Amino acid sequence: MLTTAPHLRIRRPSPTTAEFTVTTLPPQTLPLRLLWLLLLFLRISLSVTMLLILYARWVQERSRSCFGAQAAVPPTTSPSPPPLLSLDRILFALDAFQGTPAGAILAKVAATVSLPVLLPVAVAVFYALSLRVHKQESLLVLRGLGVQTCESPATYLAGAATRFIPTEKIQDILVNEAFRGFEVRYYLVVVVEGEEDVVVVFPGLLPKRKIVETVWRGVRECLYEGRGEDRGLASDK
Amino acid sequence: MVEHDGLMRVFWPTDIRKSDRTGVVVGWRNSTLDVFVVTILEDVDAHNVEFHLRSGTFFRSGPHSPSRIYDLCGHSSMHVLGISNAASHSAVDPSWVCAKTSTNSRYPRISCAKASSIQLILYDRPHPKGMQYISLNPIALALGDKGSLPEDVASSEDDSEETKQEKAIKENRRKLAEKLKQHSIVRRVASARDKALPKIVNQVNWSWELEQALQQNVGRLGPRPKRGLSVSERVVESATTMRNYVLVQLWTLFSVYLFPIVQKAFILVLLFHRMVAEILLIVLEFRAKPGYAALKDISATAQQIEIRLQQFCYWPMQYVTLRQRKANWASVTTSHPDYIRFYNSLWLVANDVIIGMAVGSYIIEHKDWVADQIRDLLRTYTVEALQRGISWLMGWPAGLKLNGELAAFLGDLFLWVIDYWSSCIETLSPMLPHIIWFIGFSSFAGASMPIAMFSDLLSVLTMHIYSFYLASARIYHWQLTILRSLFHLFRGKKHNVLRNRIDSCDYDLDQLLVGTILFTLLFFLLPTVMVFYLNFAIARMIIISLKAGFDTLLSCLNHFPLFALMLRLKDPSRLPGGIHFELRDTHESKIPDTNDKLFNEPPTSIIYLKNIPLPFHDMFHQYFQMAHRIRKHYLSPRVLLCLVTGQFVPPINRKNLYSLQYSMLPARRATVWEMWRAVNMEIDIPQKKPFHLPNIPALQNGGKRPTGFGRTRSRD
Repeated sequence: MLTTAPHLRIRRPSPTTAEFTVTTLPPQTLPLRLLWLLLLFLRISLSVTMLLILYARWVQERSRSCFGAQAAVPPTTSPSPPPLLSLDRILFALDAFQGTPAGAILAKVAATVSLPVLLPVAVAVFYALSLRVHKQESLLVLRGLGVQTCESPATYLAGAATRFIPTEKIQDILVNEAFRGFEVRYYLVVVVEGEEDVVVVFPGLLPKRKIVETVWRGVRECLYEGRGEDRGLASDK
Repeated sequence: MVEHDGLMRVFWPTDIRKSDRTGVVVGWRNSTLDVFVVTILEDVDAHNVEFHLRSGTFFRSGPHSPSRIYDLCGHSSMHVLGISNAASHSAVDPSWVCAKTSTNSRYPRISCAKASSIQLILYDRPHPKGMQYISLNPIALALGDKGSLPEDVASSEDDSEETKQEKAIKENRRKLAEKLKQHSIVRRVASARDKALPKIVNQVNWSWELEQALQQNVGRLGPRPKRGLSVSERVVESATTMRNYVLVQLWTLFSVYLFPIVQKAFILVLLFHRMVAEILLIVLEFRAKPGYAALKDISATAQQIEIRLQQFCYWPMQYVTLRQRKANWASVTTSHPDYIRFYNSLWLVANDVIIGMAVGSYIIEHKDWVADQIRDLLRTYTVEALQRGISWLMGWPAGLKLNGELAAFLGDLFLWVIDYWSSCIETLSPMLPHIIWFIGFSSFAGASMPIAMFSDLLSVLTMHIYSFYLASARIYHWQLTILRSLFHLFRGKKHNVLRNRIDSCDYDLDQLLVGTILFTLLFFLLPTVMVFYLNFAIARMIIISLKAGFDTLLSCLNHFPLFALMLRLKDPSRLPGGIHFELRDTHESKIPDTNDKLFNEPPTSIIYLKNIPLPFHDMFHQYFQMAHRIRKHYLSPRVLLCLVTGQFVPPINRKNLYSLQYSMLPARRATVWEMWRAVNMEIDIPQKKPFHLPNIPALQNGGKRPTGFGRTRSRD
């Protein structure tokens, strides 16, 4: 429900510049926005819970290691909370949370799981929470400069991976077909001069043939149509 | 009026002064409709500016020759590109840009009579004094002057299957790429605009310095002050002249008498050290015959010393090239990777020495304890554990019924040697604290030294395991080969050596009988030999992986891209990894367009040119490459086969393994003579350079820009 089949969006502020974006993001409606908010809230609350579990475990480990060396230091409960927006305040709030029933449950959970299990699980949970729901891949075409492919990364933590190919290096742009599993896929390819590998546009989503053809026409029009140089060549002949 | 396809491309700096006053847009005109804006000069006449740009007035007081600018930016002079915020468009050349900037809009609005559509490309000026720049290709952190070295290594040992396969795959791909070329129907001619990109990258890099020069010298366009100096000004002038005179005298005293002596002495000391280093390097690289192992190939310590000496030999050359950077404009970006490399290696050495001091003082203080620990470790793991393992194998290990007699024979053989070895170690052990002290002392030359020494110590003190491994592997391998040929005999066949194939053969009955009996015998003895072989092979593998761990530590200490990593965090634009463009939304700038009809703005797309910082993956590229090479070598099926059949596992070529170590050093080190010449040339530079006077506040009316609008000097 949160994603749709890949569809195309075109931004073209001037005839010689265009951005073709293929995305699985559905159009924004009110229920969908609410759902997004809910998802965001869920992500944040889950990660906070995980952090609290880790903190509880850390406190336990620390008290255990301190136990041998010296008698457990009585927690210095200052009567008045330290000033707002300071590290002490955060620690104070965390310690206060450990006293609440919810904190006790988390502490129990943290105590039951052994450390070699807890840490990988925590890393996996954080990774899962940072995954993006939808994918987005785009192709920016600038006449006179070149084309640029852009893929949104898998997680929110990484930046977008872009690849810019100057016009000089573009040998050809074409639609090719390939077998993938039991189906035939059509995909857009930029052949780069002096490189062994071709650059596949929209490599993750591999949209349908209709979209690919639209993009192909758009790219050729944007890059080459009505160029002075080509016209000059034609008149020479 | 529309020319070609009518597309105009305007590069526009983001930090340009936004004001409502009229001005002249100055920059580079790469082709008629392809302009690169450097700055806007306010309140000046366009034709006057054009004249001064042609005659180069702006760069007359520049610190370096302007020809370098024109050379890199690809034009013989800067151009007037248009006007900004002009009241009327009547006197404007049709190819000129008319820009409209105001303090409250983020993007300028551009129009041009010849253009039917516009690409407005905004760029951030990289700060050349902070060594920021952009480039089309990622910055190369490794030295790239020896592409031939890996090929050499590959060709010397490409008898293996994998390299052949790889070559075949590469060849196939190349053919495919060739075929793909034939599929292109139209070969499009690149226009001047397409070809301008490398030039534009240079222009972006120069933009900051040019803007500074232009804005500083815009006052030169005004008339010279006519009146004489007032009394107070004359007093100030004579006072500053006096001060400057004294300063210059002091400076000449220092630079003529004191400085050259100090410098000469330093250079002589440096050269002496360089000669000592040369002799040491010759010793380390000495090979009795070509193809034989040199000292540095055998010992990790020698290797470490060699790397440090090579670095020491390379530093003066690097420093000289970096000094030459000072004698040029800051926007010349060719030496920035050198800078990063030089300071990376300096920093790594400093780090190494600091860590080494801590480690060394610890080792020296606790030398007895460390020696005891090492002795204990040696006794438990290389003697007692081995003895226990062998006695376990001499019984019936894990319920396997081995041949008791053979197991006892082999076990006793190994146990005697171990006994002898352990007595040798015992006689050596009083020496151990001294050796440890020596290692600790050596670590003042860097923490990598004790690591390398421990690595060597490990190989010396576990020599018996290596020899056991060799001996048992040899026995095991012989037995396997004999078994194979006897198996052929058993089947009535034999291996034809001449044709390298299996032929059938008529054996006599007695031959067959003896052969079969021998085959059975050897076959039943095989498990016994195999367990002994496996025992030593595993021990040997553990030692190899330990040494690999030491080597990894060494390579981290020697070649970790620490400086690059720090730069990446501190200022990502100093490590360019390419450029990327971002299409901005244009709704915002469209709205105010309705209120004045005079300004007919063609369809404009606003694009932001950004620098991609070097990805972390590229920074550790060398490490990934080395890991890949090691994996390919040791985890290949061929090596596994060697291990199983008891053949000698060929060690990975050391050059291959240490490609990382040498990626920061030139393939051929400069000779002493070359260094002498370079260093002496370096002395000459500061003498030629004029003494920079301290900054003196300018006189009130000394060449300042005129306040009025039309008071520009008239030309006739």
